[in-house]
Amino acid sequence: MNNTSSTRVGFMQGLEALAEEDDRIMLVCADSLKAMRADPFLEKFPDRVVELGIAEQNAAGVSAGLALGGLIPYFATYAGFITMRACEQIRTFIAYPNLDVKMVGINGGLAAGEREGVSHQFFEDLAIMRSIPNITVLVPADAGQARQAAKAAVEIPGPVYIRLGSGRDPVIFDDKQPFVPGKIHILEQRGNDLVFFCNGLMIPRVLVASALLEAKGIACTVVEVHTLKPLDTEAIVELLKDCRAAVTAEDHNIIGGLGSAIMECAAEHCPVPVARIGLRDVFPGSGHPEALLDFYGMSVNDIVEAAISTINRKPNPLPNEE
Amino acid sequence: MDERIEKLTLMASQLRRDVVNAVYYAKDGHPGPCMSAADLMAVLYFDLLRLNPEDPSWIDRDRFILSKGHACPLWYAALARRGYFPPVELKTLRVLGSRLQGHPDLKKTPGVDANSGSLGHGLSQACGLAIAARKRGSDSLNVVITGDGELNEGIVWEAAMAIAHLKLTNVIALVDNNGMQSGGKVEKVSGLYPLREKWEAFGWYVVEEDGHDIGRLLPVLERAFQRGRATREERQGMSLLPDHLRRGRASAGVPHPDQPVVLIAHTLKGKGVPYMEGDNSWHKRVPTDEEHQLALSILGGQDLE
Repeated sequence: MNNTSSTRVGFMQGLEALAEEDDRIMLVCADSLKAMRADPFLEKFPDRVVELGIAEQNAAGVSAGLALGGLIPYFATYAGFITMRACEQIRTFIAYPNLDVKMVGINGGLAAGEREGVSHQFFEDLAIMRSIPNITVLVPADAGQARQAAKAAVEIPGPVYIRLGSGRDPVIFDDKQPFVPGKIHILEQRGNDLVFFCNGLMIPRVLVASALLEAKGIACTVVEVHTLKPLDTEAIVELLKDCRAAVTAEDHNIIGGLGSAIMECAAEHCPVPVARIGLRDVFPGSGHPEALLDFYGMSVNDIVEAAISTINRKPNPLPNEE
Repeated sequence: MDERIEKLTLMASQLRRDVVNAVYYAKDGHPGPCMSAADLMAVLYFDLLRLNPEDPSWIDRDRFILSKGHACPLWYAALARRGYFPPVELKTLRVLGSRLQGHPDLKKTPGVDANSGSLGHGLSQACGLAIAARKRGSDSLNVVITGDGELNEGIVWEAAMAIAHLKLTNVIALVDNNGMQSGGKVEKVSGLYPLREKWEAFGWYVVEEDGHDIGRLLPVLERAFQRGRATREERQGMSLLPDHLRRGRASAGVPHPDQPVVLIAHTLKGKGVPYMEGDNSWHKRVPTDEEHQLALSILGGQDLE
């Protein structure tokens, strides 16, 4: 898994192809053209780029205005500066009127923020976006998926949030792997003892853990959940019905992201024991991305241990069984 | 011109009456901040804005944003009197299921082109709308009324900087400078002044006017609208004020052809209803039966039928 390719470049390639077909596509930046690797786009479509300087709240408001004027803006900068600095602008002026604004957050996750430290490691973005009505939340796994997500977003009416990585992102899927928003993506089915729900750069780690678990006699299913909202509840419940336990794995705080989404779904529709792998509600720090994931409880070993302890958890006895 | 001024003066009173009625029936709302902007709204909605109430989504309409969204009873009154919906609907202000929300909602109210209510967001949205208008080659204008208190918000100055930088002369900003915000006088709460110099430093050409003198507002805004629709060549050397008005306060010289224009309108909170004038308790307050009747008798005009 040493092969890397930038999700940012992948996304921009998708946007470029889209802009060629659709005159309404605009790129809105907050001094983020360089970070977005958007120079080729700028060169090709100088009139389709709105650069607003380091002013994300205004960029969100301007994006709303562009959409009100009939255009389809992609507002792209660091995930936290979109989802936190401009959160209220997104909520009241983009999501509430259900405008066709696509938001693209880079450095999504602590591994994606890596050496930059906490100010640039955004592990709350998905929780924030997921809690606002009308927003579709997409987590493409790698550059090829990001390229497809850029194009898929335009087909989704209303606001869409697309989470991207550091620009040094592992290649996870074959380039031909389709990206179908709103649907879970089953990666492997060794058995139904346990189901892993994962996304982003945690996928390779989960696949390794799944192989190790099989050797220990636990046969797992591995599922990618790249669309956090709307959640593919029906398909997830079908999988939960047949398994003994589930484990989620994401590069995000364990609060509010994929782990929460799956737990909410399980608790509401099909209660099975669920464990969450993710950042355990602490502020991380600078470091190499792989080392960070290992240090903050997201190692392959952490995943294996979570799976074993969860599958061994006994359900609560019913009161009359005492 | 005199006939136009007379018509607009009557309409401003009508809009104030509608606001008093709407807030009285809703038993909730912000009458004071509506009153200070009523003359500006009359000039915009009943003379200058290019609109088509028959087809509210007509692409080449001018876009108006009431950035001080808490004054939306005034916006709703203007829209109703302009024919977007029946005036009697103003009685449903803030009622469950009504199209007239407590703060403006573009999805619910015909003629409302942008959300507001969370302060400071009018100019940002106008900036995006202006870019879109340019892109489709339209001469439609993007007009914002902002309060003075909401100029505390940083996003206003982010937007002001961007609009000037992007040379969006198709944005026209109007500041309802009534000198009061929720907590009291603006200079006491937030140290807003000097205001004109702030706008100038952000690249704008400033005109200051009495925001209740329609005889002065109409010609200067008419000129600003003409300039906003003009080509860059036509804007070259174009002065904003007719000569007889140049004694009014304005930035030095003529605006640069790439410069956006802001009108700082000196206004009085509660204007037109004597017991509300200058009394900031009317920022958000409901008239009693007696106060309601008194206001109606002073303002004249028609009821909500």
